[in-house]
Amino acid sequence: MILLKHFRQYYIKYGLSFLLGIIVLIAIDWYQLEIPRTIKSVIDGVQTGTIIDITQIFSSLLYILVIVVGMTIGRFWWRFLLFGNGRRIETDIRSEMFKHATTLDQNFYSHQKVGGLMSHFINDLNSVRELFGFGLLMLVDGLVLGGFVLSRMFVLDWKMTLYAFIPIALMGVLVFFIEVKMEKKFRERQDAFEFMSDFAQESFTGLAVIKAYVREAAEALGFKGKSKVVYDKSMSHLRYSVIVNIIIDAMISMVILAILAYGSILIAQSSLSSGELTEYISYFFTLLWPVFAISWFLNINGQAQASAKRIYAFLEAKPIVYDHDDTIKDVTLDGSIIASDLTFNYPDGETPILKNISFEIKAGELVGILGRTGSGKSTLVELLLRVYNPKENMIHFGAYDAAKLSTKTIREHIGYVPQDNFLYSDTIRNNIGFAFAHIDDATLYKAANLSDIHENVTQFKDQYETVLGERGVTISGGQKQRVSIARALAKDPTILILDDSVSAVDTKTEEAILANLRKARKGKTTLLIAHRISTVKKLDKILLLDHGILVGVGTHKELMKTNALYQEMVKLQELETMVAEAEAHA
Amino acid sequence: MRDFSEQVIEHRDLRLVRRLLKYLRPYAGKFILAFGLMIITTFTNMVLPMASGLSIDIMIDPLIPFDRKVLIVAVGTGVLILITAISILIGYFQNIMLQNIGQEITHKIRLEVFTHIEKLSVGQTNQLPVGKLVTRATNDPANISEMFTNTIVNLIRNFLMMIIIATILFFIHPLMALVTMTTVPLIFIASALFRKYSRTAYRYVRNSVSEINGFLSENLSGMKITQVFNQENKKISEFEVINKKLKKSYIREINVFGVYRPTIFLLAMASTMLAIYFGVDSIFKGTLTIGLFVSFYVYIGQFFEPIQQIAEQFNSLQSGFASAEKIFDVLDTKPDIVDEPEAIELPELKGSIEFKDVWFQYIPDEWVLKGVSFKVEPDETIALVGATGSGKTTILSLLVRNYDIQKGQILIDGIDIRKIKRSSLRSFIGQMLQDTFLFSGTIRENITLHDESITDEDIKKASEYVGLDYVLNKLPDGLDHQVRERGNNFSSGEKQLISFARAVVYQPSLMILDEATANIDSETEAIIQHSLEKMMSISTMIIVAHRLSTIQHSDRIYVMNKGEIKEFGNHQELLKKKGLYYALYQLQFDAKETVLSE
Repeated sequence: MILLKHFRQYYIKYGLSFLLGIIVLIAIDWYQLEIPRTIKSVIDGVQTGTIIDITQIFSSLLYILVIVVGMTIGRFWWRFLLFGNGRRIETDIRSEMFKHATTLDQNFYSHQKVGGLMSHFINDLNSVRELFGFGLLMLVDGLVLGGFVLSRMFVLDWKMTLYAFIPIALMGVLVFFIEVKMEKKFRERQDAFEFMSDFAQESFTGLAVIKAYVREAAEALGFKGKSKVVYDKSMSHLRYSVIVNIIIDAMISMVILAILAYGSILIAQSSLSSGELTEYISYFFTLLWPVFAISWFLNINGQAQASAKRIYAFLEAKPIVYDHDDTIKDVTLDGSIIASDLTFNYPDGETPILKNISFEIKAGELVGILGRTGSGKSTLVELLLRVYNPKENMIHFGAYDAAKLSTKTIREHIGYVPQDNFLYSDTIRNNIGFAFAHIDDATLYKAANLSDIHENVTQFKDQYETVLGERGVTISGGQKQRVSIARALAKDPTILILDDSVSAVDTKTEEAILANLRKARKGKTTLLIAHRISTVKKLDKILLLDHGILVGVGTHKELMKTNALYQEMVKLQELETMVAEAEAHA
Repeated sequence: MRDFSEQVIEHRDLRLVRRLLKYLRPYAGKFILAFGLMIITTFTNMVLPMASGLSIDIMIDPLIPFDRKVLIVAVGTGVLILITAISILIGYFQNIMLQNIGQEITHKIRLEVFTHIEKLSVGQTNQLPVGKLVTRATNDPANISEMFTNTIVNLIRNFLMMIIIATILFFIHPLMALVTMTTVPLIFIASALFRKYSRTAYRYVRNSVSEINGFLSENLSGMKITQVFNQENKKISEFEVINKKLKKSYIREINVFGVYRPTIFLLAMASTMLAIYFGVDSIFKGTLTIGLFVSFYVYIGQFFEPIQQIAEQFNSLQSGFASAEKIFDVLDTKPDIVDEPEAIELPELKGSIEFKDVWFQYIPDEWVLKGVSFKVEPDETIALVGATGSGKTTILSLLVRNYDIQKGQILIDGIDIRKIKRSSLRSFIGQMLQDTFLFSGTIRENITLHDESITDEDIKKASEYVGLDYVLNKLPDGLDHQVRERGNNFSSGEKQLISFARAVVYQPSLMILDEATANIDSETEAIIQHSLEKMMSISTMIIVAHRLSTIQHSDRIYVMNKGEIKEFGNHQELLKKKGLYYALYQLQFDAKETVLSE
């Protein structure tokens, strides 16, 4: 059983139902053996002439009836208690895992594949659950029922039992080792299958290439080869498992035949009654289950332990962004941002992404952050949001050091529109109202109007109740961006950050959104990351980043005068506009 | 899930079964043999209880002397060992045979599905996520054969067992058999109810599982947004809701099984008690011996096992049917581009291409090409330029017939493209596409695409032509170097070079380049262009490029805008026009200056 932290508390939490379930199981194990014994007494009674009237067996039948009814009820209860516990524990662990997942930072997520995390939630949890439910049943049945049956068999005929038990116990050991070997065969089969799947995956992904070179037949041949390997490996695994089953079958049959032959002789010698032989054979059949149960238990126990370790490792993973004990909480930020000599590199990166950046943004300013791809714009924003940790005294929100503020406080004050516009597969209302428990209509419509999405939404059949597909795929890229902007605006935050958020909308919509922002954000700080001059041209201040260095700060006019890089960017983009217009008029 | 009446589904099942049986037909002989063997083993498995009963009767018979009894036991045991041995041997062959048939059917369906998917047009396969296509070709066929070789076979075996045991019971004591089997109708009712409830319970489980998996995959990838918006607690409580729902659905499933299994046990034990009562009564009346009473008692115990399994097997039958339906959906999808019956094989391709007023749309009423006409003579090189979405790439796709046009005509060497077999057409065209796709395997395999007739000498030549030899020389194992999934151990430029070599090694007559040199530096690009011009096999070349330096030496440049050709001519002529091309040129020229000044 699993005794790791995060798992052991459930033995206490569900202790009562575990205890009850086990008691029920033990009772069933004991009383089910009473049935063959009662029948034995009936048979022997009839044979020896102590029972001569049918009414004499009524008490026996009644006894069986009581046991059967008791067992029927008991069997329901242990299922409910033990299997139910497995599910209850699974649910609890899953919940704990998700809770933990919400505390882990981007540094963790950028190193983990979602598929891998999902497999902790699905596969590993499943084998842990199996151990808590089915595994416990097998352990108890294996030990208790096995013990009960064996002791009864010994009492009936210890010599016969010794002879019968030895091969069966050996078989149990054999089954355990064979399962291990079989697992290997099975894994080979799985590997071959995965190999084939990968091939199909690549082949279908690269179908355009295959068609271009008329290689369909060759691909099919390749797939046939892979499928043939799966066939061979499957057959090898299946043949093995068929043989194993046959050996087990044969051993059991031979033992039974031996019991039957030996028992018959004993009856002929009158040293065993026919009732006792019947009882004995019944016991023998009952014994098979505990033997298998023990070896299966050992097997799933091994798998579950490995899975539990993986879940444990996940639950013990520590975020690097977290609040220290001396964090400043529950303060109000005024919206000013001061960076002093800000330098940053990612935890596993060697070269700094941002180098010695210093600037000051006053509360209520509308600031553009301009730079080419890879200039460090998004990293700067991630630091402001405390997605990554800035060092002490590098960033100040008003009078407070960002490194000492609680993440919750910082994020409460910031509205963020991410680059990839991640939306949830939920209604548009809930997406825009993501920052609220429930968003009222006034706030909703206001945010939607400001981000110029209201009209689009009213054209949908379900309006704001339209459910977006997974990751919001059912609406266009531009609409996604605007919903994402509305989501941040709805918060009416002290600081609003838009990370390249108007790139997917056309110039006209962009202008509308910018005009709206200017009005709505009066007195509040807004940062606008962009790579188009047109986006930042009319803002209060522009920060120009290049290769992680702040190369210019100022208004459009100032930068035009002083900054060479800025001048070049302007010239280039003007030409681009010219071409676009020429095309539009052509 | 559909809420139609059960009948509709049963009807569907019947149709599926008929179609599925076709796959079984080639193995009909073997399958029937396996069935025959299964019947034998089912019979031999029934021998033991009878033998014990008979043995008891003989052993307690005081009229038979002890020596005789020992002899009978010895002979009887010998016979039983023989029967068991034979039965085990038969069981082995029968099982292996069935599994073999199953695997062969799987293998066959897999190939059929795979080849069929490859026949579908790129437009069709793009509609489905690749993962689904893969499942159709790999998992679903396995489910089908599982259904044949396990579910159906066991279903039949269980029915057979029931019938055999019932017959034996009647044989031992008809009246007693009748009385003890009065519970059977009740068991059938319980099983029918179980089927109904377990199906619903299972559906709830499945829905909750997919809901929770969907939630997890979305929220684990979108955790940043949740955290930035401080909404961790909201997400946790959302998760609690569906997590609880999942638990509830599981507990419900446990309860359905928890009621059903003990109920069957109860009914079976009721029968056993009836058997005891009437058995003892019959013994007193002299119509039953003690030994046969024991046999009867054991058989009754075995009788209920198969009934219980049948109900559960019906459920797994459903999942087999579901897979079959999905597979047939794929197989029934007709490729939307097929060769016309009278399509011809081209003996050679001289290289003249003509678009005559070509109109094309991917989606109804959204014309991507609006009356495009142009003509290319053999040995000419032409270029297409224009903004994203202007229709350049579409023209190339149409040329290799990835799609069919709606209006107009495309002629190759004066022949309508629809009159030429696609495989024949494509074998003359070398395509260098926008996104280079590399397969995992060696570089050699990526260049030859498993065409054995291409020698290393050919590959070397092609590599030199495109400048790939510089890359190859850097690698210790050269052509045998492993390419990882999607070629992610190579830079974009290297990937383009490899796929370039691939195009060249097939010695095409017509070469089309779609942004093929975008990730290659200008120097290498110049080498490639020079080589392509030298290559004797290539007559005609069509180039799509953003970089104007790539195309300025073309014989003719077509400037595209919104599905129409706006300007054409050679580089000088177009510059003189001071139109679109001129603007583009200026833009790029300046950009280049900027890059240099950095």
